Amino acid sequence: METAQPILQVDHVSKVFAPQLTPVLKGLTFKQEPGQFVAVVGPSGCGKTTLLRCIAALAQPDEGAVLHRGQQFDDPPPWLSIVFQDYTRSLFPWLSVRKNVAFGLRDLTKNDRDERVQAALCAVNLEHAADLYPWQLSGGMQQRCALARAIVVQPKLLLLDEPFASVDAQTRIDLQDMVMDICQTMSLSTLLVTHDIDEAVFMADKVVVLSARPTHVVEEIAIDLPRPRDQLATKETPEFLHLRHRVYTLVRQQAQKAAGGNVTEKV
Amino acid sequence: MTVRRAHSIPLLWQIGIIAGLLAIWQWAALIHPAPYLPRVENIVAGYVRLWHGALLWSAIVPSMYRLGVAFLIAVLLGSTFGITLGSLRGLDPWVRPVLEYLRFIPAVAILPASLLLFGATDKMRIFVIAFGSTFPVLLAAIDGARRVEPMLIDVARVIRLTIAQRLVRVVLPAALPSIFAGIRIALSIALVMMVISELIAADDGLGFYILRNQRLFLTENVYAGVLAIGTIGLALTLALLTFEKRVLAWHHGWRGLVDPKGV
Repeated sequence: METAQPILQVDHVSKVFAPQLTPVLKGLTFKQEPGQFVAVVGPSGCGKTTLLRCIAALAQPDEGAVLHRGQQFDDPPPWLSIVFQDYTRSLFPWLSVRKNVAFGLRDLTKNDRDERVQAALCAVNLEHAADLYPWQLSGGMQQRCALARAIVVQPKLLLLDEPFASVDAQTRIDLQDMVMDICQTMSLSTLLVTHDIDEAVFMADKVVVLSARPTHVVEEIAIDLPRPRDQLATKETPEFLHLRHRVYTLVRQQAQKAAGGNVTEKV
Repeated sequence: MTVRRAHSIPLLWQIGIIAGLLAIWQWAALIHPAPYLPRVENIVAGYVRLWHGALLWSAIVPSMYRLGVAFLIAVLLGSTFGITLGSLRGLDPWVRPVLEYLRFIPAVAILPASLLLFGATDKMRIFVIAFGSTFPVLLAAIDGARRVEPMLIDVARVIRLTIAQRLVRVVLPAALPSIFAGIRIALSIALVMMVISELIAADDGLGFYILRNQRLFLTENVYAGVLAIGTIGLALTLALLTFEKRVLAWHHGWRGLVDPKGV
């Protein structure tokens, strides 16, 4: 067991797209412990996706640093996986579900690969659709396929970019439970970027509330609701309602500030 | 029942129109006998002669060989360079002006120069055919590679594919529908260039066969050669479409959902 080094450390990250525009991110700082489920919420247009791209090392911050286990990376670190918001664009339309999931696996014998893919498909309950193409699946199934592709590489850190935003309410609830379940069994560190406050409070160990642009961390709120969490029981507890109220108030303040303040560009 | 009728009626029409055209030709040839208007049966006999024996080897095979090699070169060069240029945007300002200039040079115009360069050889003909047919593939591949969904590139980066792996495993399949569109155009250009290249300083091939029989006033053979070229073009196009249908099955399904009106 390694020392308790944070799996992820976002250290005073700033990002500017053009000098004349408001910076997207400004001095953004928070950290994530191994095994922790962190949710990042903020008013819309606050640069959540930019932040996620910086965290994934798909983009580099202009100032500050993103440290993965204390190290800086120019390319995504090998233990990191992402599920993007838009499943219709993030799955390879020319590959079957099975091949989409296997896409991330290399340097393995065929047997090992097949086993891992099978396990990942089982985990997201998609074995029966393995030979279909993504475009033959419903939205929820496509997002499960993307999830299977993310976990098949057995990552340590899973980034979720509003992964439930484009599916219907019932599917969203099922996916939330599935993700929480998988993250717990695999003892994954998970970073969920979302605009859904209920979802953030329900799923996370810690909610990081972002400000309007230039975006920084307004507050980190520990969510000490017991696990396993239940869609009905947990959401009816006074603690949940209290936390939800607090996060909601913070986000709304920021949203009002954004509406009254300078015009933000949508990136 | 209705389905069968829907299929067979256009087919009957098509056959009927072809038969009608042949009949008009034959009628004209009969009432107005002239060297440039041979009878249908003579043309057919010439056409059949082309497909077996000595003529097969001196006319059809050399043409097909040149066309095949040059077309393969065009497809490989065009898609390889196109995908690379389309993905590596940094290269664009360097290469683009040259490409945009070269694409407007008709391949016919470089024929005399390549005759000087290679002599009256197969190499010269293959070069000319390949020159003409590379550009449609190249431009289509560049275009296809540029329009690859950026999110798929992100996915590939997270999986830590090298740039070369990204090109082969993500950009190439994504650009394939576009590349095939370019290949179809390239095929017709390649056919044109094949014939033209064989009209100059050649001693075999279909182009040469047509030219020679024209000089000998064997007009039925001239028309037979023209029909043979048409046959080759049709057969290659059908083969290409069949191949494309298999390779791009995913694309038709995907497009069918995204855009119900189809391609």
